[in-house]
Amino acid sequence: MLSKNKLLDILTILTVVLFFGVFAMVLFYAPIEVNMGLVQKVFYFHMASAWIGMLAFLVAAVAGVLYLVRRNPRSDYLGASSVEIGLVFTAVANFSGMIWAKPIWNTWWTWDPRLTTMTIMAFTYIAYLLLRRAMDDPARRAQFGAIYAIVGFATVPLTFFSSRLMRTIHPTIFGSGETDMAMNAPMYQTMAAAVVMFTLLFAVILWHRVRLMAARQHLAGLQAARDEAFDGGGQHA
Amino acid sequence: MKNSLKTIRVLVWKDLVQEWRSKDMLTAMFSFAVLSLFIFNYAMELDPASRADLAAGIIWVVIVFAGTLGLNRSFTAEQDQGAFDALMMAVPDLSLIYFAKFITNFLVMVFLTLLVIPIYSLLYNQALFAPALGLVLLLGAWGYSAAGTLIASMTVQTRMRDLLLPILLFPLLMPVNMAVVKAASAVLAGVALADVSGWLNLLVVYNVIMTTISIMVFAYVIQE
Amino acid sequence: MPEANLQARAVSKRYGTQRVLDQLDLSLSPGQTVCLLGPNGAGKTTLLRVLAGLLRPTAGEIRLDGAPLDFTHSAARRQFGLVMHQTYLYEQLSGPENLRFYANLYQVDLSEGSLQALLRRVGLNPTRPTPVRAYSRGMKQRLTIARALLPSPRILLLDEPYTGLDMQGCQLLNELLQQERAQGRIILATTHELSYVLQVATHFAVLARGRIAELFPNDELSLDALQSRYQQLAQPVKAEARP
Repeated sequence: MLSKNKLLDILTILTVVLFFGVFAMVLFYAPIEVNMGLVQKVFYFHMASAWIGMLAFLVAAVAGVLYLVRRNPRSDYLGASSVEIGLVFTAVANFSGMIWAKPIWNTWWTWDPRLTTMTIMAFTYIAYLLLRRAMDDPARRAQFGAIYAIVGFATVPLTFFSSRLMRTIHPTIFGSGETDMAMNAPMYQTMAAAVVMFTLLFAVILWHRVRLMAARQHLAGLQAARDEAFDGGGQHA
Repeated sequence: MKNSLKTIRVLVWKDLVQEWRSKDMLTAMFSFAVLSLFIFNYAMELDPASRADLAAGIIWVVIVFAGTLGLNRSFTAEQDQGAFDALMMAVPDLSLIYFAKFITNFLVMVFLTLLVIPIYSLLYNQALFAPALGLVLLLGAWGYSAAGTLIASMTVQTRMRDLLLPILLFPLLMPVNMAVVKAASAVLAGVALADVSGWLNLLVVYNVIMTTISIMVFAYVIQE
Repeated sequence: MPEANLQARAVSKRYGTQRVLDQLDLSLSPGQTVCLLGPNGAGKTTLLRVLAGLLRPTAGEIRLDGAPLDFTHSAARRQFGLVMHQTYLYEQLSGPENLRFYANLYQVDLSEGSLQALLRRVGLNPTRPTPVRAYSRGMKQRLTIARALLPSPRILLLDEPYTGLDMQGCQLLNELLQQERAQGRIILATTHELSYVLQVATHFAVLARGRIAELFPNDELSLDALQSRYQQLAQPVKAEARP
């Protein structure tokens, strides 16, 4: 478990290669969009990041359920790592969204459903991390984290539907009728490639992060055992 | 079943008596709410028509913030005197403890709402008597108490306690906030209840989901 | 009165990397009053909470009457009476109100007469309506002892029960423990008040380095003999390790 993992190494290299591949696709293969111009290319990274933000939260919620049922510390590492990474991707999605929005709608922020939901989700992530920081006992920390991840995830669809009921100016990509963004085949392909690559990126970073957490715990355990042996098995704090 | 109801009744009675005799929380909430309403006056020197549109929003915001005072307090007795342990030893079904706390918090929210509305009405000279408004705020109080009770039961056991409650609770409450403010504004503007059914349905769905999940996970919150 | 047997089997409890209890074995039988001794921080409170089913051990199990103590159902937990550091009392309620509250939860029929008898048994004035907030520490301790006795528990777990009690209170507690023992209860108490507990304990158990170092009977032990035995069991390795 803690020794070098061949599969992980291969996947890491593959991810790096794919990253540059998709980057090239975005710059050279996908055409410049008719209505919005060059800045529209941010969309590929924006959408993929947003998708990962959602996926990460789902993973954290599932990890939470697993932890409550089996109490395996690895489920806790998985949940915590997923939230950390998901927060980063959500921030990327928000910022890339803002970069995209400013030239087109002349505003940094729009109170549109998807953006609002993603931002609230980011706040939930931050709350999760703060909750963990405020707890000293690892077992209870894992338990509370699991509970909050589950409850938090359950509110995401509800937040989305509420904000949708409020207003929409987010461009509709797939819908019929008014489309603000004209998409053709190469653009769909680039988008799909970006999503696949980002998912792989997420999985690889997640795997690395979980290993790091597990290794840290293992080290702390060894240190504690060494301290105890040296002390002659003396008082516990 | 009869025993469960009796247990809930006993637990709720205990909480209500505890609060009634000290009146700490109730007075704090009341002061906070009234002061907030005063502060809003300086923030919004508007003509009466515009202010009337904002009424629902202001009222709900004041309730949300003042409500955290109540939520923070709802578990401190148990935490400080260790009574979580005692309740766990005595009550077979731990979700009954959640349910009782939820009811107590809900009653406190209702009490707060009944205070805020007339005072707002008085200060801003706006008639707010609308039964439909009551329904919307009741549904909002249900959602607030359901989520708030669960989160408070967790935060009271952490190092940061009171500080952490709003941070954890408010992101979860967003659907409720949106639904209540939109529906209440509409109702105050004279819209029929049937026309805000979208918001009301959303509230009910949220409330049911939140209450159900909370009951299911509560045992994990208070057991070590 | 059915035989009650409370066992801890290979119980370990870790807080993160800290091992507080380490493969601990302990067996308690009816009629025994065991005094648990150990240095501060040795894990006495942790052990009591694990025995009561309030704390889930990292490994091992607790058995009651030969069957594993089900952590999720507190029906079994009603057989325990707990007196801990915290009082478990509601400050705004009076003594009788606190007792009636817990009696209702335990579904114990507490008539006015039994309520007063119980309060008198712990040396409290049965008619006093003042809220617990106004009680002294000793009075709170007496009340929480009464609270623990409400469901007529088969097992009494007491963590520093003499805390706050004056001399009269300590003697009253001793009488109470002797009465309970005569009824066949299992009693486990931790304390540093060796002179008082010598009068009621049937056995002594020393908790050190996460385990029960020894369980020995109280054969007319003197205070000095007990203290030296305890020192011996609690700290031998540390004394040798220092050059």
